[in-house]
Amino acid sequence: MKTKLAACTAAVLLVCSIPAWAHRIDEYLQATILSLEPNQVQASMRLIPGVMVAPSVIATIDDNHDGSFSENEKRAYADQVLADLSLSIDGQAVKPQLDSWDIPDASHLRDGLGEIHLEYHVDLPPGTAVNRTLVLANRHLSGSSVYLVNVEVPQDRTLHVVDQKRNPRQSVYELDYQQVGTATESSGRWPRTRAWWDGLQLSSLFHLGMRHIAEGTDHLLFLLVLLLPAPLLAVGPRWAAPATVRQSLLHILGIVTAFTIGHSLTLTLAAMNFVHVPSRPVEVLIAVSILVSAVHALRPIFPGKEAWIAAFFGLIHGLAFASTLNRLGMSRWDRVAGILSFNLGIETMQLLVVALVLPSLLVMSRTSAYAAFRIAGAVFACIASAMWIAERLFRVQTHVDTVVNLIAQRGLMCSGILFAASGIALLLFARRSEEGVKS
Amino acid sequence: MKRLLSLAAVVALCAPVFVNAQQKNSTEAVVRAANDFLATLSAEQKQKVMYAFDDATQRARWSNFPTGFVARGGISLKQMTVPQQQAAMKLMGTVLSPMGLEKVNEIRQADDDFKANGSKRGPGGGGPRPQGPPPGGQGGPPPQFAGRGPGGAGGPGGAGGGPPGGDMFGSDLYYISFLGTPSATQPWMLQFGGHHLALNITIAGSQGVLTPTLTGAQPALFKLNGKRVRPVGRESDKALALLQALDESQRKQAVLSYQVADLVLGPGQDGKKIAPEGLKGSKMNEQQQALLLDVIAEWSGILTEPYAAARMTQMKADLKETYFAWSGPTNTEAGTNITAYYRIQGPHLVIEYAPQSDEPGNHVHTMYRDPTNDYGSALVKP
Repeated sequence: MKTKLAACTAAVLLVCSIPAWAHRIDEYLQATILSLEPNQVQASMRLIPGVMVAPSVIATIDDNHDGSFSENEKRAYADQVLADLSLSIDGQAVKPQLDSWDIPDASHLRDGLGEIHLEYHVDLPPGTAVNRTLVLANRHLSGSSVYLVNVEVPQDRTLHVVDQKRNPRQSVYELDYQQVGTATESSGRWPRTRAWWDGLQLSSLFHLGMRHIAEGTDHLLFLLVLLLPAPLLAVGPRWAAPATVRQSLLHILGIVTAFTIGHSLTLTLAAMNFVHVPSRPVEVLIAVSILVSAVHALRPIFPGKEAWIAAFFGLIHGLAFASTLNRLGMSRWDRVAGILSFNLGIETMQLLVVALVLPSLLVMSRTSAYAAFRIAGAVFACIASAMWIAERLFRVQTHVDTVVNLIAQRGLMCSGILFAASGIALLLFARRSEEGVKS
Repeated sequence: MKRLLSLAAVVALCAPVFVNAQQKNSTEAVVRAANDFLATLSAEQKQKVMYAFDDATQRARWSNFPTGFVARGGISLKQMTVPQQQAAMKLMGTVLSPMGLEKVNEIRQADDDFKANGSKRGPGGGGPRPQGPPPGGQGGPPPQFAGRGPGGAGGPGGAGGGPPGGDMFGSDLYYISFLGTPSATQPWMLQFGGHHLALNITIAGSQGVLTPTLTGAQPALFKLNGKRVRPVGRESDKALALLQALDESQRKQAVLSYQVADLVLGPGQDGKKIAPEGLKGSKMNEQQQALLLDVIAEWSGILTEPYAAARMTQMKADLKETYFAWSGPTNTEAGTNITAYYRIQGPHLVIEYAPQSDEPGNHVHTMYRDPTNDYGSALVKP
């Protein structure tokens, strides 16, 4: 009887001493967020003990009961958590690999303030499966725990979440997802090379490169403005007669190739850390490059030397591309392959854009309406680049990004309109083109 | 003709640049109120409230916890003189809508109530526990810690669980801080928060962004001067109204088959975009869609116009791609708070409403995010 009373008193005392701000009291919250990648699944786990379960969690970590956590004890606890997980992919058991662990002091946990963070990953067994199923079961301290499991929307566009199923406690979680468009050829002979190759995420870098051009409107504007006078020949200080189609095509090909060579060179050098240039002057110079090519589109200032100019400014644009790659934090040699696919992505997008506007430019350049179009485009680019320069140099805020993005987002539509306009121009102004040349 | 054509084209292309200029009024008023407040501060205080715009640590220094445990940056209302407090609240009244300011004040009042009365949950009180009896045999009375009595140091409990000194609760323990300098053209941030409140307001020119923001309350239902106050009560009522407007098959999709014990994307989980679940907006009828927008408005409407209207326009555009998910009891007594968790998630939105397990109907945390634009990241080039 007495012992019972004592136990009761102790329990009441314990309960009374619990601070009321402790939102989690008698539960051990274990929250996991998964991220899918083509060849592995990464997991980020937060473990938050409520004040009443903290003592038992602390006792589990503090193996020698000295009141503090040694590095070995922390590592052992992280391993124990992972050992209490069961993971399978397509029915095949896989072992989680611990990447990092961050365990706060015992006193923090005791106050209900501490969060334990664990990161782990599982490598996907190589396979050709399109539909994959991942099952994650968590048995860690299941008597006192509540669980949350979620998956991030995959960054890689070849991955699609199809369905998520959970038991009522979320201690068992099943994720069905689709993996499409990945390399399905079996390369059993070179498993290591392949793992390395896949680990580079070349396709996502390729997409990144494409996105970079599609969204990096300043790069695009530079290229487009440089193409504006490409179908024309300079006569003295003015743009005059349209060149022949063959001349125009060669000219455009030269410009695009020169730009590519230029930016590939600096992209490679900078991404390999051979050169390092702070990003602000680079961004300013990119805006200047647009201004220069826009002025050139108004009045020829370097006729016939467009390719050289494209190559020169390409060098600068490449430095900006490299800063994107730098942020991804790859090791130096992984970068070689990374640069290649990133650059291929850039080229592909560039060619797509050129292919979209080229027919319109060629058609319209045969008409007298082209001068109006060229001047309007060049003036727009002048204004936009001047605003960019102001923004980047003096850190003032303008609306140039909003406006340019608005147009860029409707790129397909704009190029459609442009093509239609060039057709109309051909009908209306074609006859008069002769006069236009003379005037 | 040619010149005319090109002139017209130039005007057409450049017009949008200048249209935006008209919307500046609100930002200018906010900047004025901010500068008025800053002008009341001593040099030392001013130094404490100002941070660099790119101070990532201060940006993320917010929490649901009381300020005694997770220290905020800036200075609290308590550290201000009366005129300074007035100027601070005038600033809040300028950047927030009347509804938003009321919500903020009710959250602060809830903290006063908590300071005075503590957690009122007696034996058998409170809502049903979703997890069943606590393990370990502690079936005794739940926490009765009464905070610090007015003027009294050392609450019950004393050693062990007590705060490391300093105040814990009260409507004056709310902190204000600035990242960057208030400006009508350059981006800057205003933070205001404390226990159960973290407003992170990014102003960039004519645009104002509230994400990420945390609101919450304990008690979430209390009496002040004889009047019932529910700081996040409409969030509960409106979501329940939407749930009840769904037909059976819709409800099957909206109501999840599992428990959600807490916020998934709470403090520290910036920029994460989880796979959405629940019922999609495209599968709701017009009336239900209107109810969904009405729930969202409880968060999007916290800021003043035109910020709130711009956000609402975006929410309307995203509506078909916006999901509504519910977990927990699907009913509650009128005038009380739901004990269920819900989440609203769209391309530019995550709202979570999470009752806390110690007192489900009386202790709530909510989170308001835009994974694509937390801290205005989409408006501001890093």
